[in-house]
Amino acid sequence: MSALAVNRGLTALLLALLMVAPWLLAWMESEFWLTVLTEILIWGLFAASANLLFGQVGLLSFGQALYFGFGMYGVAIGIDRFGLGLWPAMGLGVAAAIVMAACAGVVAVRLTWHYFAIITVVFSLIFYFLALRLKPITGGDDGLSFAAPAIMDLGGLRLSLTDDATQYWFVLLIVALAFAVQARLRSSALGRAFAAVREGERKAALLGIDVLRVRWIAFVIAGGLAGLAGALFALYGRYASATHMYYTVSGEAVVWTVLGGAGTLLGPPIGAALLILVREELSGIWEHYPLIVGALTIAVVVFAPKGIAGGWNALLARVTGR
Amino acid sequence: MAEITTLALNGLAWGLIVALIALGLSVIFGLLDVINVAHGDFFMVGTVLAWVAVDATGSFAVALVLVPILGLLLGALTERIAIRPVLSTIVLTVVSTHGLGILMQEGVRATFGATPRRLVAPVGGTITLPGDVQYDVYRLVAAGAAALALLAFFAFQQRTRFGTWMRAVRHDRETATTLGIPVARVQLLTFSIGAGLALLGGVIAAPITTVDFRAGIEILPTCFMAVVVGGLGNLPGTAAAAVLLAVTEGVVSAFLDPSAARIVSLCLMCAVLFLRPHGLFAGARA
Repeated sequence: MSALAVNRGLTALLLALLMVAPWLLAWMESEFWLTVLTEILIWGLFAASANLLFGQVGLLSFGQALYFGFGMYGVAIGIDRFGLGLWPAMGLGVAAAIVMAACAGVVAVRLTWHYFAIITVVFSLIFYFLALRLKPITGGDDGLSFAAPAIMDLGGLRLSLTDDATQYWFVLLIVALAFAVQARLRSSALGRAFAAVREGERKAALLGIDVLRVRWIAFVIAGGLAGLAGALFALYGRYASATHMYYTVSGEAVVWTVLGGAGTLLGPPIGAALLILVREELSGIWEHYPLIVGALTIAVVVFAPKGIAGGWNALLARVTGR
Repeated sequence: MAEITTLALNGLAWGLIVALIALGLSVIFGLLDVINVAHGDFFMVGTVLAWVAVDATGSFAVALVLVPILGLLLGALTERIAIRPVLSTIVLTVVSTHGLGILMQEGVRATFGATPRRLVAPVGGTITLPGDVQYDVYRLVAAGAAALALLAFFAFQQRTRFGTWMRAVRHDRETATTLGIPVARVQLLTFSIGAGLALLGGVIAAPITTVDFRAGIEILPTCFMAVVVGGLGNLPGTAAAAVLLAVTEGVVSAFLDPSAARIVSLCLMCAVLFLRPHGLFAGARA
């Protein structure tokens, strides 16, 4: 059996398990984990946006929280101020993130490496402080809370986020679709252009690839993914706040990506799952559980420099003899 | 006018302290290719240890001598455990030092506690400056101490054999190895010195800031900006940029509130990065 077939089989199994998780957890009488799982899916999608830039195009961004924040505030303001329904509000959030990324991207993609990293931080900090100041729009320190409208309301059939299982399936559906789009993107011509730019921009330019344009497209798509994650997060918490726009949140996305395996499709959610599960498992037992998170983070990069998914793929290649 | 002078002087004192910390960051980055996101936490540990030392002995001088030495040891220890194994890949250093930062923050929270504290300045009172400006004596002392430490570092780098090795390794690691320079030892000591500078900055800053386990997260972006605006690998540039950024922010805060001043200085950063992508002083160096 080839390594590819094994990974495909595992992905299908994972998806099947995720689909039946609400029943499985109800049967195990641990419904609490359903909301944890919902959160993991959202943060996994957010990490994927950092991975798209770093793992696929080679740009290290510490500013993805900015687009997450735009998605979050787009939903909150759409529902709370404009009285939009759930889907239009999500559309507003994602559109706001994409427009912001399109503008910021024009400047940012001209820089590379450390300069790119620092300008993405600077952009996100500017809007973080603005969000704190513009109290009438963003609620400032207090944030914005709202009551989530129904997912759909067709006469007798009314689906609402207030039911944990419905909320989970709603998030799973959207996150799974976003990952399916990413998988398609990887095998497309654009995906190959991303890889060419990552491996060497001069060579890519000689092949006729417009490097700046390819980077800009990646930047906008990554902004859209982060915005979608932010929109989901706002709906999940019925809340938007500037804390989730701070640069440390962007840093988490990079950390999850590297721990899970940069450049792999499922590495970022795996990394997010690892740290969030450790947090949920330990925070009730020991107040100072972050000490374990810190030590674990160092241990993973020291012993598995390619991340969990990268290490798994290397192991698989050895077993299948490739 | 007096108010602007005070705020500009505050900016100068703070800028010189930030320069010291950013210098440590810049040395570590330039020589080891490590993006040390725990650098702010080294500073924070410096403020906490200063508070503990003063609390235990009642003497600020003890803190001033002891804490930077502890910083050198802490730096050496962390280099062996968390930096050396991941030196080959720059992004791994980001994640590894992130883990290190969590360890330091939580370590401080578990022992020192989560309540912010204040350290009383070793020299109190105010002094009347020309133009009838009343100014804290300690801030002037802090500015002087930071400036002195900066000069000492540059002298160390220019005048001692170890300093020459540091410059050689930064310039060209392979050639340095060929010439018989003990590169691994230079790297270890460089990280150590970088951490030591951050802790020293923490001691000097402790009486004019709050001692809090979250302080590192707040100061980190400012340090990185100084490093980038000064030009990567340009140590005097880093120091100059730190002072320039802080004084600008201080003067602007005379007209706007602090968070608006922060936004203005961030926008200026954008302009600098875009117009002079290799640092403010790139031309002067070439």
